[in-house]
Amino acid sequence: MSLPGTDLHADVGQILLSEERIAAKVAELGRAISADYAGRRLTLVSVLKGSLPFMADLMRSIDLPLRIDLMEVSSYGGTATESSGLVRILKDLSATIEQEHVLIVEDIIDTGLTLNYLVRYLRGKNPASLHICTLLDKPARRLVEIPVDYIGFTIPDQFVVGYGLDYGEIYRNLRYVGVLKPEVYGAGAEVEPDLEAAIEG
Amino acid sequence: MDPSTPFAHASEAEMARILDFYAVRWEYEPHVFPILWNLDGDVVESFSPDFYLPDLDLYLEMTTLRQKLVRKKNRKLRRLRENYPDINIKLFYARDFRALMLKYGKLALIDGLSGSSGQVTISRAEDGTPADLPAAGLAAVAPLLAVPPSSPADVAALATPTRAARRRHTRSARLAERPVARR
Repeated sequence: MSLPGTDLHADVGQILLSEERIAAKVAELGRAISADYAGRRLTLVSVLKGSLPFMADLMRSIDLPLRIDLMEVSSYGGTATESSGLVRILKDLSATIEQEHVLIVEDIIDTGLTLNYLVRYLRGKNPASLHICTLLDKPARRLVEIPVDYIGFTIPDQFVVGYGLDYGEIYRNLRYVGVLKPEVYGAGAEVEPDLEAAIEG
Repeated sequence: MDPSTPFAHASEAEMARILDFYAVRWEYEPHVFPILWNLDGDVVESFSPDFYLPDLDLYLEMTTLRQKLVRKKNRKLRRLRENYPDINIKLFYARDFRALMLKYGKLALIDGLSGSSGQVTISRAEDGTPADLPAAGLAAVAPLLAVPPSSPADVAALATPTRAARRRHTRSARLAERPVARR
C-alpha cells in the first residue's frame, strides 16, 4: 500500500460528488445569486484556503459586476502552539466593504465556529448586506446555528476531501469531493451504508 | 480559559479551549435541571449540561462514552427536553468529538481524551456512574458528585422550565434535603 497522500485517488474510499455534479450545482448557485443581486454590486469574500476552487468557479457563474476579496483565519490546532490561543485574521480584506453587498463564499460549514467568528467580524465593517454561500453543508456537526442563504449540497457526516478540502493540506486539487478512507487518518471504519442517498441538493 | 475550572473530563477542557479560540463565551455547568421527582415531589435526578453558551443560548453536553453505552445519557436528555422544552441543547457524542479532533488535526489526542482514560477527576464507568467503586463506595463518594438541594437561586438559574416543572421544582425546593447525583 502506498503512503497516504502519495496516490490521491487511492486514498478516497468513495466519490461523493463528481466533477460534473459539482459544476452543475455551481452553475445553479450562480444563476440564483445573479437573480437575487440583480442591479446591485456584489463583493464575494472567500475564506482561504478551502474555498478557492469553489470561489473560482462560482464567480464565473455569476453574471453581475462583482468584486472579490480573500480572507484567511487561523484554525484551532493549526500549530501545536496555537491550541491555547485565539483565532487570528491571517489575511484581512484588501478593500473596504462598508455599504457593499457581501456574500461570504465557503467550501464547507460544519461546526459553524469559524463562520460565526467571521460573520461577527465582517458585520463590524458595516456592509450593506451580508449573506453566506457554501458548497457543502454538514449540519450533523453544527454547534453554532447560522442562517445560510445558499447551500450547494447537504452532505452526510463523513470526512470529505477534494475540490479545495484537505486533509493535512493534501487532496485539495481533486476535481471531485470524496470520502477519505478512515485508514488514511488512522481511524476505524465508520462508513455510512448509503452515502449517495444521504446527499441533499 | 480559567485554569481553575473543574472539568470532569479532558475532552471538556479541550472543548473549552476550542470555544475560547473562536471567541465563543461559555460557562461550565452553570445550571442544574431537576429531571425526575418521586411521588413526594422530591428531586431524585438532575441533569447539569457541561456547557452553556450564553451568546447562543445553547447548552452543550459532551459524552465521550462509546456510542452503544450512551443510552442513559440519551434518556436524561429526553427527560430534560420534556420538562424544559424551551431550552436549546446539543449532545456531543464521542464520534462528534473525534470528528472535531480530526478536523483540527489532533486525532492523536483522541486516545488520551476518550472514555475513562480522559477522566481528570473521579473516574466514571462507561454508563456515566462513578467507576472503581463498589456499591458501598458509591454512597461514600456521592457528596462529591452531588449538587446542593434546589434553592431559590437554582430556580432563578433555570432556563424557563414548564409550568409543571416549575411547580415540581418549587415543591422540591421546599422538601428536598438529600443531595442529588447530577450525572
